[in-house]
Amino acid sequence: MALRRPLVALVSLAACLALVSGGCSRGDGNTLKVVIAEYSKDHTKPFWQSLAGDYTKRTGVKVDLQVIDWNSIDQQVTTMIQNNQPPDVLNLNAFSSYARDGLLYAADEVLSPQTRADFLPAFAQGGEFRGTLYGLPVLASARAFFYNKQLFAGAGIEAPPRTWNQLVSAATRIRDSAPGLIGYALPLGPEEAQAEWSIWMWNNGGDWKKGDRWTINSDQNVQTLQFLADLANRHRVTQVNPGKTNRTDGAFQLFKDGKVGMVIGFSPLAAQLDAEGKVEYGVTSMPTNERDAVTLGVEDYLMAFKKKNNREAVRQFLELYYQPDTITRWISAEGFLPVTRSGVDRLSSNAKLRPYLDALPSAKLVPTTDPVWDKVKLDVQQTIGLAVQPGGNPRQVLDGLQQRATAAAEERR
Amino acid sequence: MIRASLSRFSITGLYQGAVGSLNYRRLFEQEALATVVGNTLVWVVAVVALTVVISLGLAQLLDASFPGRRVVRWAVIVPWAASLIITAKLFVWVYDYYFGALNHVVTALGLTAGPVDWLGNDATVMGAMIAVGVFVSLPFTTYVLLAGLATIPGEVYEAARLDGASAWQTYRSVTLPLLGPALLVGTVLNLIYVFNSFPIVWTLNDRNPGFGHDTMVTYMYKVAFKSALRDVGLAAAVGVLNLLLVLLAVLLYLRTVRWQDAEA
Repeated sequence: MALRRPLVALVSLAACLALVSGGCSRGDGNTLKVVIAEYSKDHTKPFWQSLAGDYTKRTGVKVDLQVIDWNSIDQQVTTMIQNNQPPDVLNLNAFSSYARDGLLYAADEVLSPQTRADFLPAFAQGGEFRGTLYGLPVLASARAFFYNKQLFAGAGIEAPPRTWNQLVSAATRIRDSAPGLIGYALPLGPEEAQAEWSIWMWNNGGDWKKGDRWTINSDQNVQTLQFLADLANRHRVTQVNPGKTNRTDGAFQLFKDGKVGMVIGFSPLAAQLDAEGKVEYGVTSMPTNERDAVTLGVEDYLMAFKKKNNREAVRQFLELYYQPDTITRWISAEGFLPVTRSGVDRLSSNAKLRPYLDALPSAKLVPTTDPVWDKVKLDVQQTIGLAVQPGGNPRQVLDGLQQRATAAAEERR
Repeated sequence: MIRASLSRFSITGLYQGAVGSLNYRRLFEQEALATVVGNTLVWVVAVVALTVVISLGLAQLLDASFPGRRVVRWAVIVPWAASLIITAKLFVWVYDYYFGALNHVVTALGLTAGPVDWLGNDATVMGAMIAVGVFVSLPFTTYVLLAGLATIPGEVYEAARLDGASAWQTYRSVTLPLLGPALLVGTVLNLIYVFNSFPIVWTLNDRNPGFGHDTMVTYMYKVAFKSALRDVGLAAAVGVLNLLLVLLAVLLYLRTVRWQDAEA
């Protein structure tokens, strides 16, 4: 094997596993360590760099800004905490495990009441751990149902499907209308399987939890997963091996190439489609078995880590970010959705965001407020795809997930 | 790493105390471990063996003088100079079911009934990874062997020719034995690199759920960060086991070689 890389990978992995130190971490009050997830190469870093510059000018506190890609952010943050060098401010898609470990400031400690009150209630609730807000909403997104208008016309389908039966028939007609076409692109590979699965699950009346109980293997959910397996193996309207297809380089790629009739997407996909101009697409709500279509809302968080002498510096940084013009500038640049009332006011006139803003009231969040979710999510990513492969067993896969989720919940008690 | 393997960590990475050998006992209870060890064995043996055999041929070729040799020698370095992740990503597209060049070729030649999902099909994904592993290992190994060939003095070939040895006889009885040290270095280093190789297996296998095609190194990473286990302590135990396995493999190899030497 080539000399350098694997060695480097091994050494860094070993190093990240190696160090354990005790004691209390402290901020020095002079530098703020800010760790941000990279939403896009074009916008994320420039925005936070300029915010950091602004902040330093106002407060004299330097910012150690680290923008980290989604693939490695979990690993890097874990390593920071393991080495007792946690960030002061962290942006991530999970927060409750950090709250449970007692690492975070509650919102009241680092936000003014006005800023706190500006959060949309659903998103404020989505950041609560045991009734206290720790995960400050940083931005949101909502999934929507994308369809290829040219392929629909070619197959003589007049309107996008509203029900699952209509979906099967539309997908079948698209597949049969020309060789090489795919009715519905179903990505249940490890990248984002929990998102795809959530949307289907909710539109059949199922859910992750009921009250405090996990309900992953409910009858509705087994039926839903069987339906997805049937899409692949009985109706044969999906791409090859949907259980082994990721979203970005799999399903989205096929849709962008004009091979696919329907896919669940979000605003960044729309931006790419617009830029390429190859596919004429429509965006609508999910086909559903329920009275009302449900979609997935995703809320990401900012967290403030408790360290000695850093509270004031963190507070000023967060207040700067939550200035209505500042947060709106970033969210609209990235093509995401506002999490504040003032943000909704400012963005509601944006035509591109219309379908997603409209979808927001019907959007549900995954149970990020439960620390067990942080494991369930990974478990779903690594197992649910196996259920839709030929010979896969939906009930068995869901039973396994349910059992492990329940065991993890027991452990927490 | 040893210390981490004896500790318990929260999912966030927060240290929660020492647990003795618990992580090791848990490791040996993991259902996936047997599969992963088997995969690692296949991966390492296949990549190293194929690499060495092909490199022997390539080194011989590049040792001969022919017009344009300098260009070819440079060309062989390319896969080494390129980043492993980039190379692996490139091969993801080569292997792609819908867009991949490989499926164009095999279907055009009628080698398979239809396109093959090289990276999604359980039967082909290991082979696909091994091919890339060999591809990126060739340059280093070839150059080690080339350096070995350069140290063989011309006189011994002359002597062999005078004795009337055929080309194949010369290769077997003169070149190969004299290449011994280079071959040894090439093989041992490859054993270690291939065992520790992360990017290729990770990138080519990232679409497959579960641990079915992981090697020990990607398994360690998944245990730490990407699976429901999400356990840095357990992953550290995997890391310690990895270290022991590499050591064992190298010792075994060296012993076999020395044992043969003694016999010769």
